[in-house]
This record gives sequence, C-alpha cells and structure tokens, in this order.
Amino acid sequence: MKFLNFRNLQTIILIVVISGLLFLALSGYFTPVFNLSLNPLISLQSWLSVRYLSARDFLTTPRDVTQLREQNTLLESQVSQLQTQLIVMEERLGEAQVCFALLDFGRTNPQYSYIAATVIGREISPFLQYIIIDRGTNHGVRYGMPVVTQQGLVGRVDAVIAGAARVKLITDSTSVVNIRLQSAGIEAQLVGSLTGDVALDMIPLDQVVEPGDVVLTSGLGGNFPPNVFVGQVLSTQRRENALFQTATVQPIVDFESISAVLVVNNFQAVDITPLIPEP
Amino acid sequence: MISHLVCALSLVVFFILQTTIFSQARLIAGSADLILLFLAAWSLQEQVKNSWLWTVVAGLLISLVSAMPFYAPLIGYVGVVAISKSLQRRVWRTPLFAMLIVVFLGTFFQQALYVVVLLIIGAPISWSQSLDSVILPSVLLNLIFALPIFAVANDLAGRISPLEVEA
Repeated sequence: MKFLNFRNLQTIILIVVISGLLFLALSGYFTPVFNLSLNPLISLQSWLSVRYLSARDFLTTPRDVTQLREQNTLLESQVSQLQTQLIVMEERLGEAQVCFALLDFGRTNPQYSYIAATVIGREISPFLQYIIIDRGTNHGVRYGMPVVTQQGLVGRVDAVIAGAARVKLITDSTSVVNIRLQSAGIEAQLVGSLTGDVALDMIPLDQVVEPGDVVLTSGLGGNFPPNVFVGQVLSTQRRENALFQTATVQPIVDFESISAVLVVNNFQAVDITPLIPEP
Repeated sequence: MISHLVCALSLVVFFILQTTIFSQARLIAGSADLILLFLAAWSLQEQVKNSWLWTVVAGLLISLVSAMPFYAPLIGYVGVVAISKSLQRRVWRTPLFAMLIVVFLGTFFQQALYVVVLLIIGAPISWSQSLDSVILPSVLLNLIFALPIFAVANDLAGRISPLEVEA
C-alpha cells in the first residue's frame, strides 16, 4: 500500500494525462489549437530568419564575389581549354574527312593501287605549277606516276628522291594531257597556262562542244590512265582562220587548296617519244 | 664562323617559309621570293663578307628543289647579288633605298631570265602575259616584303659583328 502513496499517484496521473494529450495531438484533435498558437510563432520565425539571412548576405558579399571571380576564372580557363580541344578535333576531323574521301576514291577505282601523300610545299618559281609531296622512292613512288585526288586528275610525278617527290600539275604551262569529252566523244588536248588556268586545244572545228561537257582523260599517249575526271567545259572559242577551236575548262580539283593526293603506283607510264616520227 | 651559321639557318628558315607559305600567297600569278630578298639584304650589309658563298649555296639549293633548269636559279641569285654589290658601293649611305632598287632590278632580272629559259626549253608562254601576270605582281610583292626582310638581315648582321670582333 506504500506504493500508492500521494507522490506515486501524482506521477501516474501525470503520465496518463501527457499520454492522453500526445494521443489526442497525434490524432489531430489539437490542430486548431496548434494553428492558433503556432502560426504567429512561425511568422515571427520567418520574419526573423529572412532578416538574418539578408544581413548575413550583406555582410558576407565581398567574400562571395571573390569566390565567384575565382570560379569565373576557372571556368574561363576551362572554356579556353575546351575551345583548344575543339579546334584540334576539328582539324583532325578535316584530316579524317580528306582521308575518307581519298579512301572512297580508292574503293570506287579498285583497278589501281594508290600511295597517299601529303602536299608539303610548292614550286618556288611563279612561272611553274608544281607541288612537293612527302612520299618518294622509299614509299614506291616512281617517275611518271599519275597523281589524283578523290575529285580528279592532279598531274604526274616529275622528279623523285628518297623521301619526297615533285609533281607537275596539269595547270602548268608546259603540261599537255590527252582528254576526251564524255558527251561528245571528242578527243582533244588539255593545256595549262602561266596563270594556272586550263584550256582545251586541238578540238576539230566541225565538232560541237557545249558548256558543261565533262572532260575525262583519254589514256592516249600513255601518260595518264583513261577515264579520270578532269573538269568541265566553261566556254568555247572559235577564231577565224584557226584550224581548231579551243575551250576553257574549269578543273574539278582546287589546286590552290590541295593538301593530300593519291599517287597511282600500278600505272605504268609509256614513253612514246621514240615512236613519234621526226619532222 | 657564326656568320656562316646564322646565314645557313636564315636560308633554311626562309626556304621553308618560301615553299610552304609564300609560294601559295599569289598576286595574280606572281609571288614573293624570300630567298632573293634575304640574299639582296644580306649582301647590302657592310660587315658581311660571305654573301657570294651563300648566294651560290642558295642558288644550288633552290636549283635542286625547283623544276626550273638547274642553272637558272643560280644565275638569277648571282645576278641579284651582283646588282646589290655594285649598288652598295654607290649608294652605301642609304641602304634602304639601295635595297628597294636592288629588289626592283633584281626581280626583273631574275624573272626575265626565267622567261628566257622557259622559252628556250619550249614552254608556250608570252612576254606580255609573263609581264602582266607574273613579273609585275612579283616585283610589287617583293617590294612590299623588302623592308621587313632588310630589317631582319640588318639586325642579324649587327648582332653578329660584335661577336666576331670579340672572337
């Protein structure tokens, strides 16, 4: 009976009351009471918190600016690095595109085998149209081999050393290529000039040549393989008392920006000079 | 000794620049000739004694690379240096003016020599077209680049001379 003394009874009643209040609160019976009493408290808390954060931001702003500047510098350096990487990747993409184009040309002309070469220089004298490539006898390049790109005819190897070769372009003033006009079936000669323009010569007067006619190599003379694309006819000229008509040609290859070429290494150029009767 | 080394290195640098960049920078069909400009500027320097030797070396080097007949670049450069040497004695007080005259006359001489050689070997070119499309544009480009090349040659020669005096 000692257990049910006044103090213990008070404690038990207090526990029961608190438990009941908690049960009622968790059951939601006290929500209106809480709303009424806690809302002003929360509003006050929010007001105070906003003011505190504003004051803190105001006091700590200089430090943030410094941090932002550091971050900005860091990001700018990252942007610069990425831009550099982008330029490098674009260059590699350009090289890859050239390689793919050359490879595509090789696949579409499987009868020939090729040596890919990069253009590393140009003729010093402005009177001549030559390029220097980075493949020579060590790589199988020989004198007289035709040189092409994925677009069409470039020229032929004029001189070769162990690690490099000089290619005479079809635009050179001393270059003569025997060609065939695809649509008309006419054979003529393509000659270069001082300015790098190319023209057709020796076209018979009775033949009709239209602008846009496709110019292909004929294979005559043995210097170039037949049916290699050269360009298109731009215009024709007929002069009175001339034995032949001439035509200007737009070459398919852009000789100013040529950067990689293919040397046809299984085409054997034939020197027919001894067979030409002397006048 | 150092003069030979500097001259050799300069020629290599100018040769590379010429074949890779300046041969492609065309005005109509003409282009600047850095080797000619360097030889002209180098031979105009008072303290330089080895200009003939390096002219022959440059001529042989270009002859090996160029599709021109072997002797043509050599004769061209020797002619330019001959003009330079003869003018050096006459207008030695105004080297810049002498440089411009040497470049003007030297380019004309060299290009005219090339035309003659090409005509001899049977190239179908004409004097009028060569003059309009190649020679005059080349002269203009060479005159434009003459002053910076002269400044480089002058600076190089000025730096070399004290070293050789010390040696």
